[in-house]
Parts: sequence; structure tokens; C-alpha cells
Amino acid sequence: MGAEVVTVSTDTQYVHLAWQRHEKELANVKYPMGADPTGNLSRMFGVYDDSSGLALRGTFIINPSGILMNSEINFYNMGRNIDELMRKFKANLYLAKKKDEGCPSKWQEEGDQTLKPSPEMVGRVHEALNE
Amino acid sequence: MSDCCETYLKLGHQVPDFEIDTYDPTVKNFGKISLEGQKKAGKWTILFFYPADFTFV
Repeated sequence: MGAEVVTVSTDTQYVHLAWQRHEKELANVKYPMGADPTGNLSRMFGVYDDSSGLALRGTFIINPSGILMNSEINFYNMGRNIDELMRKFKANLYLAKKKDEGCPSKWQEEGDQTLKPSPEMVGRVHEALNE
Repeated sequence: MSDCCETYLKLGHQVPDFEIDTYDPTVKNFGKISLEGQKKAGKWTILFFYPADFTFV
């Protein structure tokens, strides 16, 4: 997909290795597992919880120029929707090519309807989405 | 929780360079990933933080 997915926790790379070897659910993991034992990277992204020393469930998409394009942070007790992450990533790739368009919430993949902000659309988003 | 979870980085702004150690299951070896390296390779980066190994992600 042209992206490197890196999972990150405050565990060390050695613990990542042990977990990946031990947990059968992780047998097919293909992502590098990032180690942030100091919490520095987690702090930089605002997901470090000082009271526990752990990182919250944060997802960040950074473009090839190093610009932060999306952020999502969930508390400990809520998992993330991978389909939504992939939707956001695909929308980023599309919008990098089509800079004058916008992907509405129901956009799923290239070919789906987009919006082009214009004076004519103000107050008429409903019509634009249903034309 | 006083210092917890403020967002320090702004959308649409440059992320400062970082480098972290990794374990890469595809090559069964340790390595490093840096934002600078990703930029040089022209690749997107998706960082996926989670609380702890040996729990659900």
C-alpha cells in the first residue's frame, strides 16, 4: 500500500519478540513492532499516560513529507476499527492526487463520490451528495 | 492525569524526526525506524500505539 505500519507500545523490542513468538494470534504479524520504553514518542503524540506509564490507543497517519494527516486516540477500554483506518489511509492517498476535492464520511474507495468545495455548494451539500 | 494525553502535534504540521528500536517479525530481527528514513524512502507512516504487549490491541 506504500505505507509502513508500525505498532508502538512502551514495551522493549525484546518483549515484542517474546510476545510475538508466544501469542499464536500474532503468528502472521508483518508490521515492525516499535519499542518506546522511555515513553518519549508516546509523549510526542500525546498518548502517554503518566499515571500508568502506558500509551493509549492512538493512531496517526504521516505523509511522505512528514506532515501529520490524521489522528485518533481511544481510551484503554475501546478498540479501533481497522476498516476505518484503511478508509482514512485510502482517502489520504486519493486526496494527495486530487487536492481540490474532499472525501465525505461515506467515501470508501476511489470512484466513490467526492465533493469539490465551491460557492455553489454552500448550503447545498445535501443536493451535491444526492445528485 | 495532569500531563496525560494533551495533543502536542497539530494536523497539517511537520512531525519532528524520531527514531525507535523495533522487532520486525518478517525478518525475525531487531531494527530501527526513523521518520527521516521514511521520508527519504517516500513512504507514508502509520503509527499504531497500544497500551501493552500480552494484552489485546
